[in-house]
Formats: sequence, C-alpha cells, structure tokens
Amino acid sequence: MAAQLTLQAPRALPPAEVVPHLQHLWDTELEGSRGAATFTLVIYEASWLQQQLVRIGWIDGPITGLLERSLVERAKQAVSDCDLPLSTAVMDQRLSWALGQKSGAHQAEDLRGQFVDSAISAHQPRRLITLAPTLDAAESLQTRVAAFCPLVEEGKASSQACGDAVVLRGGRGALQQNLALVDALVEPGLPCWVWWNSSLDEAPDLLEALAPPGRRLVVDSSLGAPRRCIDLLLQRIQAGQAVNDLNWLRLRTWRESLAMLFDPPARRNALEHVVQLDIDVEGDHPLKGLLLAAWIADRLGWHLVSSFAVDGDGAGAGVGAEFQRTDGATVQLRLMPVPVGVPRTHPGAMVGLRMICEPDDRPPLCVILCSETGGCMRLEAGGMASMELLEEVVPVTNATEEEELARLLSGGHDTTNPLMASAVAIAARLLPA
Amino acid sequence: MSAVLTNPLRVGLRQERVISPQCLVIFGASGDLTHRKLVPALFELFRQRRLPSEFAVLGCARRPWSDDDFRGRMAEAMANEIAEHRSAWDQFAACLFYESVDLQDPPTVVKLGERLELIDRQRATRGNRTFYLSVSPAFYGSGCRALAAAGLLADPARSRVVIEKPFGTDYASAQALNKVVQACAQESQIFRIDHYLGKETVQNILVLRFANTIFEPIWNRNYIANVQITAAETVGVEERAGYYESSGALRDMVQNHLTQILALTAMEPPGRFDPESMRNEKAKVLQAARLANPEEPWKCCVRGQYGPGGSRERPIAGYRQEPGVNPASTTETYVATKLFINNWRWQGVPFYIRTGKRLPKRLSEVVLTFREAPVHLFDAAGGSPTPNQLILRIQPDEGADIRFEVKAPGSGMRSRPVDMAFSYDESFGEPSDEGYVRLLADAMLADPTLYTRSDEVEAAWRLYTPLLELIEDAPEQLPVHTYEARTWGPAAADNLLAEDGLVWRRP
Repeated sequence: MAAQLTLQAPRALPPAEVVPHLQHLWDTELEGSRGAATFTLVIYEASWLQQQLVRIGWIDGPITGLLERSLVERAKQAVSDCDLPLSTAVMDQRLSWALGQKSGAHQAEDLRGQFVDSAISAHQPRRLITLAPTLDAAESLQTRVAAFCPLVEEGKASSQACGDAVVLRGGRGALQQNLALVDALVEPGLPCWVWWNSSLDEAPDLLEALAPPGRRLVVDSSLGAPRRCIDLLLQRIQAGQAVNDLNWLRLRTWRESLAMLFDPPARRNALEHVVQLDIDVEGDHPLKGLLLAAWIADRLGWHLVSSFAVDGDGAGAGVGAEFQRTDGATVQLRLMPVPVGVPRTHPGAMVGLRMICEPDDRPPLCVILCSETGGCMRLEAGGMASMELLEEVVPVTNATEEEELARLLSGGHDTTNPLMASAVAIAARLLPA
Repeated sequence: MSAVLTNPLRVGLRQERVISPQCLVIFGASGDLTHRKLVPALFELFRQRRLPSEFAVLGCARRPWSDDDFRGRMAEAMANEIAEHRSAWDQFAACLFYESVDLQDPPTVVKLGERLELIDRQRATRGNRTFYLSVSPAFYGSGCRALAAAGLLADPARSRVVIEKPFGTDYASAQALNKVVQACAQESQIFRIDHYLGKETVQNILVLRFANTIFEPIWNRNYIANVQITAAETVGVEERAGYYESSGALRDMVQNHLTQILALTAMEPPGRFDPESMRNEKAKVLQAARLANPEEPWKCCVRGQYGPGGSRERPIAGYRQEPGVNPASTTETYVATKLFINNWRWQGVPFYIRTGKRLPKRLSEVVLTFREAPVHLFDAAGGSPTPNQLILRIQPDEGADIRFEVKAPGSGMRSRPVDMAFSYDESFGEPSDEGYVRLLADAMLADPTLYTRSDEVEAAWRLYTPLLELIEDAPEQLPVHTYEARTWGPAAADNLLAEDGLVWRRP
C-alpha cells in the first residue's frame, strides 16, 4: 500500500475560504506536483455508534470513522448492556439509538476524514471529501483541509500523484446548508464516488443531493429498513446510476462457494432440476438472503410467481415464494430468520443455504452451504442425508468496509454490476409489501 | 475441453479489474501476430466487457492502409471467431484505426502523435497509451527512441511500451537493448512480454506453491531429487525458417519460456504478490542458476535437429529439407540441458530442461521427482518403488498429478504406483483465456507482474552464455545430433540423464 504523506497539517478554514485555498495550494505551493488523475471520493461518515460509545465513555477516542476491532467488540457487549435481542447486529441503528438514551458527555478529538485507510489511499484519490455529522444537530460547520502525496517506496518510480482531503464537520443542518461547497469541490472531469457510510433511513434529502445520477453511489443495504433499502437500490439502478452495495459484495463468498460446487461439468445438469431453496439469515433483516435467492433465480432463469410472508419459529417473520423454472416446474423458496447467540457486525448475515435438486436420471441432490459460525445442523435435518449430500462451509470474509470500497475503486466500474442489477429487481418483488 | 453447459452460476463472478480509457497502438499491425493473437485477444476482452467504452486500437505499419482496410483485413483473418459474434465485432471494429507509420522516419512518428491526439478527442482516451512493438527485434531500440523523441513516452503514468520476444540475442545485446529502452522510458513503463507467463497453468505454479501448506515444506533439496521441465512440439519450423535459422531452440524457447517456468518453480516465496516482490524473487533465483558444468558446457547440454521421419504414406521432412532452411544448417531444433541452482533451497538438485520440435507429443510440463523412501519395507511390483512425483501439466490436458505408491490388491504386501489427478477440464469445465488476453489486459492495467524485468532478462541470457559462446566459437564441441522426426530427441539427450542414473519422463 502506498502510504500517504501529508504535506501540511490539516488546516481549519472558514467554509468560504476552502475552495480559494485549494486553488492557491495547487496553483502556487504545489507547483510542479501533479494532481492524481483518479477520482473524487465523497464520504458521508456518520459513525453514530462510535460517537455514542465515546460520549457515554464506553470507549476512548479519537473518533476516526473506522470500524475497528475494539469498537466492534465493545459494541457487541453493548447489545446485551442495552437489553437488545442478541441477534441485534452491531451496525443495527437500534443499537446506536439505545446508546443515545444513555447519559454521558465525554469528549474526544474528531479525526474523521483524516484517517484514510491505506486500502483507499493506495488508489490515490484526487480529492477526499468527508462529511462528518456530529451528535449535536445544531453544531455549526467546521472545515479542514490537507494535501498529501504518496510516499515513494524504495526502488519505485516517483509518480508524485498528489491529492487533498477536505473535512466538513458539523450538525446535519449545517451540512445540508453547505452542500454547494461539496459541489464546488467535486473535480470536474474525474469520476466521483459517493460512499453513504450510514443507514439508508437517514437524511434522504442529503443523500439525494450528494449522489445525483452522474456520481457512482456506494451504499450498504444491510443498514436501514429493508423496504427502503431495496427500493432505493432499485430506483437508482433504474435511473441508470452506477450503484454498488456493500451488502451485495459481502455475498461474494456465498456466490463463489455455490458456483464452485457446480463447476465440475458432471454436476451442472442438476441446476436445471432445483425444486426447493431454503435460506437462513440472522435476525430480522432479510435483504442479504433475498439478494442471494434473487441472484440464483436470475441465473437459473426462474420466473417469480408469488411471494408472501411466512411465520417464523418465534424469531420473526420469514419470506416464502414460488418460482417457475424454465421447464414449467415449481421451485419453492423459504427464507427464515434464525436466532443467534452472539451479535454479528451487520444485520441479516447469512447463516445457511439449502438447495434441493431432483434430476430425472439420478438420485436427488441436496446442496448445503453454511457459515463458519452458523453450522449446518438445521438444514441437514429432515432426511437430507438420504439424498446425495454436498456440503460446504462458507469462509467468513474479514474484509473491512474500506477494503471492499477499495476493491470497487480499483475496479473503476462506471455502471452497476449487471448481476446485482438483475438480483435487486427480483429481490424487490420478493420482499413482501 | 468438455463440451458441456456453461455453469450459469459462474457467469460474471470474477471481479475483473477494469482497464482505464486508453489507446493501444500496435506497431507491426500488418504482421501475423496482430491478426493471429493481438486483435483476437482484444476482441475477447471486448466480449468479456473488460474494455472501457473509451477505447481504441491504432494499428501502425508502413503499408498505406486506411482504417477500413485494417478493419477488413482483421475481419478476414478472424472470420471464424467473428461469425459467431457478428454484432459484437461490428461494435469492436469501430474502435479499430490505422495509421501508416515508419518508426525510422521521424515525420511519420510526429504524425502519429497528432493522430493519437485526434483519437483522444474522438474516443475520450485521455492521453493514456500502450505501445506494442510487434516489429522486427532489430527495431526495438530505434522504435523506443522514435517514440521518446516524439514525446510519446514522456508521461510514465500514461504511457507504456510492450516489447515482444526475443529481447536481445545474447547477454551483451540484451544489456545494450536494456540501456537503450531505459534511456527512453522508466522501467515501470517497459513491459517485456513472455506469453508463457500468460498461461493459466504457468501462473498456477505460484498458487499451488504459495497458497497451500502441503507443498512448500518439501519443495527443497531435502525432499526433491530432480526436476524436469519439458516443452515438446509436434510441429516443425513451419513458416518461421527465416527467424528460426538465426535463433534455434535455445534462444527461441529455453532462454525465455522454459527459464521463466524454471524461475517460478524454483523461486523463494515473495513477501507479497506485487510486481516488484515477484520479480525480485525471480531475478534472484535466475542469478543463482548455473549450467551444471559451465567450464565444460558441452558436458551438460545436448543439441539436436530433426531429420526425416514419419511413415511411407505420410513422410515428414527433415529440418534441412524445410522451405527456407539452409540445407547444411546446424541450427538446433532440440536442446536439453542440465542446470543447478546455487542457493540453500536447491543446492545439488539437478534441473533438466528440454525442448524440441517434431517430438511425438505436444506438451509442456514440470516434473518434480522426490527422493526415495529411506527404507523399502515392501516388495514393489516394478522391482523397486517408484519415486513420488508431482507433475504439473502446463499444456495440453492442463492439471496436475501426484504419483505415489499404494498397496497392490492381493494377499501380499506389494506396492505399486498410482496417480492422483487434478484436471482443469474436470474441475472447471471451461477453457481458460489465451495467454495474450491476460497479458494485454495486464499491460493496459500497467501491471507488470507477469512481465519480465531487465535484470531477469539479463540473468536468463547470462545463464546460457557459456553455451551460446561455445556454439559461436567451437560448434564442433556441441554438435547437432540428428533425430528422427516424431521421436523423443537424440540418444545423447538420454545419456545426459543416464549419467545421473535417471531417465526422461515419457509423458
């Protein structure tokens, strides 16, 4: 990774002076340095969880905006401290809300936008613009500016592609009122990525203004009400915007594991004879599981006939659906929430998948995938062992949000992934109204 | 590959890196390589949706073709591929342009710069360019100079130059060429291509070694007795007599392709998978490699040349009878040599390398033969236990086999060897991309991991310098043995191993 060398200490400036200052910096002080011809990255970095934990004194500062391991561990403990169900994920906004009810007024330095993960900085953003809303909604806007160049590693050519970072920190109202500054800072002629690193339920007007269709939007559909998340994805994709969903990207190992099982040509025929698909997810956020089911349905050419809510075993409502295969046969889908004993990081994590195929000329095949932590036992029950059983434990990916984002940046895709676009359209219809 | 359904769940799963907007400039666009390999590889990338919409290919050669001439000639040469993908070709062909350029004639190179600027405006390629020198090796240096003089290599972030093989004809010429091209561009801009490194199975050597824990602990002199690297071709010299007469098998295959496979097989694990870490380790192992007997190189190398063969019904001409070949030619079409690598991992382990034309089978493979078990407890069906072998099949029938002893069925305790096989075909069932697809994409992504660096190329030439000098100065000491076409080379090559109590694997 290319380390970032800050050419100057982050400088606090009045908002009105930010643009002239940067112009002066590039025209005069950095004369001879080339600005990286890469992209602008706008991040809405709410970090409510970290801010609340710092405020009530359960963790120390500074506030960085990074989802560090110590933060996640303390937040998991906070789930039970706040008497929330154990299936409440750390990033579930209900946890931040519950923490918000606790008293405390601890302060810590706020370094959001100044801690650039090396996975992102390695791609040499031309300009990083961080919007850092504060807990105090009435706080006025503060802006900070810094320029940086990558440290040249020994033996490597110096490309001196430099960039700058701008932080806009304040109450949400102040951020909203100063959106013109963001627009003025977005480099014309370069791609602009907008990472909405917070719940999609939050500040829809701000999201709308930050991410017009020409900008590449990155969201996490596990954060926010499932209906709001899927509708937003669908609407943006249909409008032709390049949309990326970290929740979809986290399905990568599941999609890869399932595809891998059908790589050997001798097994492929079974995919034409699927009769049943069962998916278990953690907690009451079904979107990840629905996206996986929708991807399978799309890839196998199934037609959605109906979808409906089904009763879970005390763990919330599930989703049922009926599909029609290309040969007219029926495929049943059941997506059920299952209780878990330890909070996970993101809502609605995958626990298991079972796919039953009944080819004409060979014994039924039962494919079971389960997460490392979830186990396969529930899906193995019900006589599955009488079929040809194919099981795989799906590895847990340890990639951080920043690493996932960096992968997107390196890909440079200027359109929505067509697999995701198709899956979102089906998932939106699968989710009962 | 099996003719089976595509795995519908596999489609689109690979998250490919996306190539930045750019113009690929091919010098030698009227030559064979352009229509046989380069444009088909680009068309494949286009069909895989891995090229940006802001993309252009500018073919350059001396012939006074128009854009439409170039498009037509490419379409004609690729008629079979295009027939199945007509509408994709029509879209792709719109990215093809042509400019008549003579790299020895500065005004035409200046004109090329103007054409590139025009293409930048037409296709929004943003001044990002990859220059591919598919020209006679004699023009590599002057070609780079001409590009540099026209200012086309001035921006290291937005210009690269790909240089085909052979990079030099010996150590001195490779050094000289390196000096010339490095004076024109930074090393990070120079991409020396070796298409073997684009092969999936060659890259798999790295994954097999460094993504598994079961191989690396025994991948050393304590467990490995010897290594054989073979690249066998069934074809003869075909239409390449002009080039091949001055090159021969040693320069054409051994110094580049087989030595790169040797490097990947023998290198130390890099600290991370990035271009410089990888190439550092490859360069180090090549710098540690020596001919088995550099003082008397004729003792560790055998040269051969195919003679007539085949049957009465289907005779095969000998090399000297091929069109364009000197009837008294002493160019080798076969070479076998023995090397050592003087480092802690490989000290004392012989590496045998062989390649030849008109051999019985077309195949490339690496065979690692392990040491024998210290005590033979069981009778072996074959008299003595067969040493364990790991066979990496690079082409065709890509995959790997492990050979080991098992109990032969029956009441006794006799052992016999069996093979445990991995086949790309059976496991993945889909053909992998041509090497040029991967390598062209990497060059346009400015990723040199699979390209050879100046020190690697020089180390590879230096390794064979005693042989090249001997061939030059005292060829009678390294005679060319004739072998019958479609046999496994001259008997002298068998003797090279027989002296060590070994035999070549008969694949």
